[in-house]
Amino acid sequence: MNRESIKALLLGTLGVVAAMSLAMLASHVSPILGFNAFFYGAFGGKQQIAETLASTTALLFPALGIAIAFRAGLFNIGAEGQLLVGGLLAGWIGTRIEVAPALAIAAIFLAGALGGAVWGAIAGWLKAARGANEVISTLMLNFIAASLALYLVTGPLRAPDAAGPELSLLPHAYWLPTLLPQTRATIALPIALLAAFALRYILNRTWFGYRLRAAGEAPEAARRAGISLSRIALAAMAWSGALAGMGGAALVAGELHRFNTQLSPGYGFIAIAVALVGGLEPLAICVAALAFGALESGGLALQAAAAVPKDAIHVIEGLLVFALAARRYLGARGAAAQ
Amino acid sequence: MLDAVDLSCEAGEIHALVGENGAGKSTLAAIAAGELHADAGEIERNGRIGLVHQHFALIDRLCVWENVVLGREPRRFATIDRDAARAFVRDLGERYGLDVDPDALVENLPVGIRQRVELLRELARDPSILILDEPTAALSPGEVERLFSTIALLTKNGVGALVITHKLDEVFAHAERVTVLRRGRVVERRPITEITRDQTARAMIGGEIPSIPSHQPTNGAVVVRVKELTVPGAIENLSLHIAAGEILGIAGVEGNGQSALADALAGLTPFRGTIDRPAAIGIIPQDRLLEAVIPAWSLVENAMLGRERAAGNGSWRIDRAAARAQCAAIVERFDVRTESIDAPLATLSGGNQQKLVVGRALIDNPPFVIAYNPTRGIDIGATATVHGELLAARNRGAAILLVSFELDELFALSDRIVVIARGALRGEFADRRFDRDTIGRLMVSA
Amino acid sequence: MTLALVLSLLALALVRGTPILLASLGGVLSERAGIVNIALEGEMTAGAFAAALISFFTRDPWIGAIGGVAVGAAVGFALGFAATRWRVDQIVAGMGINLICTGGAAFGLIFVFNQAGVTPQVPAINQALWPLVVLGILLAAVLQWALSRTPIGLRLRACGENPHAARAAGIDPLAVRLAASAIAGALAGLGGVFLALGELNLYSDGMIAGRGFIALAAVIFGRWTPLGAAGVALIFGLLEALQFALQGNIAWLPSDFLQALPYIAALIALLGASGRYRPPAAEGKPYP
Repeated sequence: MNRESIKALLLGTLGVVAAMSLAMLASHVSPILGFNAFFYGAFGGKQQIAETLASTTALLFPALGIAIAFRAGLFNIGAEGQLLVGGLLAGWIGTRIEVAPALAIAAIFLAGALGGAVWGAIAGWLKAARGANEVISTLMLNFIAASLALYLVTGPLRAPDAAGPELSLLPHAYWLPTLLPQTRATIALPIALLAAFALRYILNRTWFGYRLRAAGEAPEAARRAGISLSRIALAAMAWSGALAGMGGAALVAGELHRFNTQLSPGYGFIAIAVALVGGLEPLAICVAALAFGALESGGLALQAAAAVPKDAIHVIEGLLVFALAARRYLGARGAAAQ
Repeated sequence: MLDAVDLSCEAGEIHALVGENGAGKSTLAAIAAGELHADAGEIERNGRIGLVHQHFALIDRLCVWENVVLGREPRRFATIDRDAARAFVRDLGERYGLDVDPDALVENLPVGIRQRVELLRELARDPSILILDEPTAALSPGEVERLFSTIALLTKNGVGALVITHKLDEVFAHAERVTVLRRGRVVERRPITEITRDQTARAMIGGEIPSIPSHQPTNGAVVVRVKELTVPGAIENLSLHIAAGEILGIAGVEGNGQSALADALAGLTPFRGTIDRPAAIGIIPQDRLLEAVIPAWSLVENAMLGRERAAGNGSWRIDRAAARAQCAAIVERFDVRTESIDAPLATLSGGNQQKLVVGRALIDNPPFVIAYNPTRGIDIGATATVHGELLAARNRGAAILLVSFELDELFALSDRIVVIARGALRGEFADRRFDRDTIGRLMVSA
Repeated sequence: MTLALVLSLLALALVRGTPILLASLGGVLSERAGIVNIALEGEMTAGAFAAALISFFTRDPWIGAIGGVAVGAAVGFALGFAATRWRVDQIVAGMGINLICTGGAAFGLIFVFNQAGVTPQVPAINQALWPLVVLGILLAAVLQWALSRTPIGLRLRACGENPHAARAAGIDPLAVRLAASAIAGALAGLGGVFLALGELNLYSDGMIAGRGFIALAAVIFGRWTPLGAAGVALIFGLLEALQFALQGNIAWLPSDFLQALPYIAALIALLGASGRYRPPAAEGKPYP
């Protein structure tokens, strides 16, 4: 880490603390009490830490996926839809197969990856074959995914035993093993961390990663060097969707133990902020996901204990992203001045 | 960039500002016109200074009259008086011999006409001084003559013209005074009658002009064969061939199908007809920053571009040691001056960046090379290196397609020249017997 | 289908289409000036929430409406300011603004009204619904005319195509972009006002429901022209209206499919004609 990024980190932390204090004061809560509640909610005990880690996991998968697309120069804002479709396929497979638990869990993750990959690849194909703007297409696909999921779980795939619009419960043996007993922190976290290391290796050490980065950094130079931008767009969107879809599978097998349409309270969108705050670097994204995970679980505790609405956290996340966009400029200006 | 430069241009004179690429000419022009600010010193303007840019600063998707009147639109109530605007453009064009359709969309106009539009736009603002930055870079010889007669008309009307160029022919044919800029300093300033061409050239370079290797006799088989090539909208039914050990020069005015020809040969654009060429091919793209390099990346990563898969030797991993060795080899052989091969490419001068691009294209000794304006915008030292390496590749037996907008470059390097105009071949000159006037005329043939 | 049914369907289409239309006009203006406007969703949200809030406290829906437009303009100004003075990545900044606005509205609901999800009923301007519909369509025609025929329209287009050339012609591209972004925010805010105070008399979480993004699609399909975008926005309105009309009437057609109809239509449109869409040349690129 260089001095610039340390300075940015300190300023960012300071900004978050200041914004949170303001939100607490606005809600007539003393910041000391508020931060106490916040930190207790995020790290106060086994259960709290597990909640933070669960949120971290839920954000990490889609954030890594978003990083792949962004590094390839594609503004994939469809992680939410990809996560949902992945979760849907994972939840469906999980209720259909009868194999050894380890195999079943592998199949559930694979199904999640496949579902997300297909959903991402649609946007990738639209981009590759028709030049369609991926911002618009992934947004539309988010809405379509939500409608599709709702249709399937209220109609053809609706569980006979289900109370609401959801699929059947997975067999208990297929639930993800937990890291800490009696909590929602599961082995999905180490899987996500593994994915981060793999992604870092692929981006930096393989020719596929090189091509992907070149296509994102300088598309015309890459095209003229014989790199097929269409293939990169398709591959990047499919891999991007696959990771988001694995996030859906992790939620299904690790937290809800079934698919329902309330699977994600917007993880796919917040993950964009996570990926950007992590500078699109896989390992930095892990740290950013932990910070955002803590914000999420601490925010919930803050709401319960001090009646500071959790939505304040989203405002803070938005401010972080906004500040980040500005920091790029400040950094660029610093470089130009040297 | 610039160091204590004095420059004056008087009403009614044609003043040539010459210097190598990177000497600071364009910076000086931008400062004089008020587009950039100097750190120190002052600029005294009597009236407006107009600047005609090297890369025309027009708005492609507006029509001619919209470009010309932008910012000072004639009005009728709240709206633009479009008839008045059109009439204004036509009148101005008639006065200076710059006829152009006021309603034409700029992006549909050829380069020569675009320059007229830019001239019109500046003239519409009644400048007392007009600065023209490399105005002939993309013009055919005929268009160059026409441009200078317009400039002569302007100076007769009391406008001072400062012409920035590196083509000494033009300076000695038209200018009254010449200022030579080298590395941001004025090294020579005289009336044109008191200085010779050679003196001027030596002042520009600050030494003798480097020599390049000679053409060794080669007698190769045909390596590249193009038959009835058609690229819709750019090339119509074009056939040519290139032999091993031959440099085929393509002469033509920019925008007459050269880039489509190069792209078709490189496999980057769909076409009809047949192209027979070796699979291995070295490409020097025309726009270095946009098409050839990734400025933020290191030399090593840039040297890999297009060869990244080969660098893995069949595995999906990149062999970083091999990639570094290869980059070091390019840096060594092609004289790329850098502190480290891990430095970002953007820290290098344009000439050194281009040497890396040329080295990347030539290091594997490909049997076929496409070089598109390989020395545009780089200094004379780097140009000599690039020319030398292209000739060395030819002498080793490579077939080379050379597209250049500089006739001097084509004449120096080519074994054979074909002239292209409006997407078709208009003439061929073999055995290094090139006739500048005939080629110039063919370049604008219909 | 009877004539009356067709007419009521068309009327519904106009009402559903107008908020999208207003936001898409804003999108056209800012994008033609060179600023990618992914923040339309946030600007609509801010406008709708502010309108309901102000109307609740002043008990005057007109002040609420003006306040909603003003807050939308302020958000647009913030985006424009960041884009011009700080040269931020406009898409990233837009995403940030959307998070801030939706989160801020939800926070505000609890903070001000002490209830989640929805405001109490507030004084509305339902009587102005149809005048606003007409205003939207008229505005599209006026903007179309202004962009092509007036000096300010020409200058705005110049800034979106080549700000350097505009600068050389004595125009300040930063000021033009900032103004365009603020006006875009005002128009999107008016779209939010239309939803909160025109159609309904409250603000509820998620009431914008992606209309800002649909408006963005309308900008693209309308080829960055006001009339084109307005036409596409009204088609989206028609699709929404169809969804209401068909709901429950056709047994084999699931209602969720109908809900997805506008989005599927947008995707198919994207598939059909993308290659021909060309955004303003300098869109999204910071100047200088």
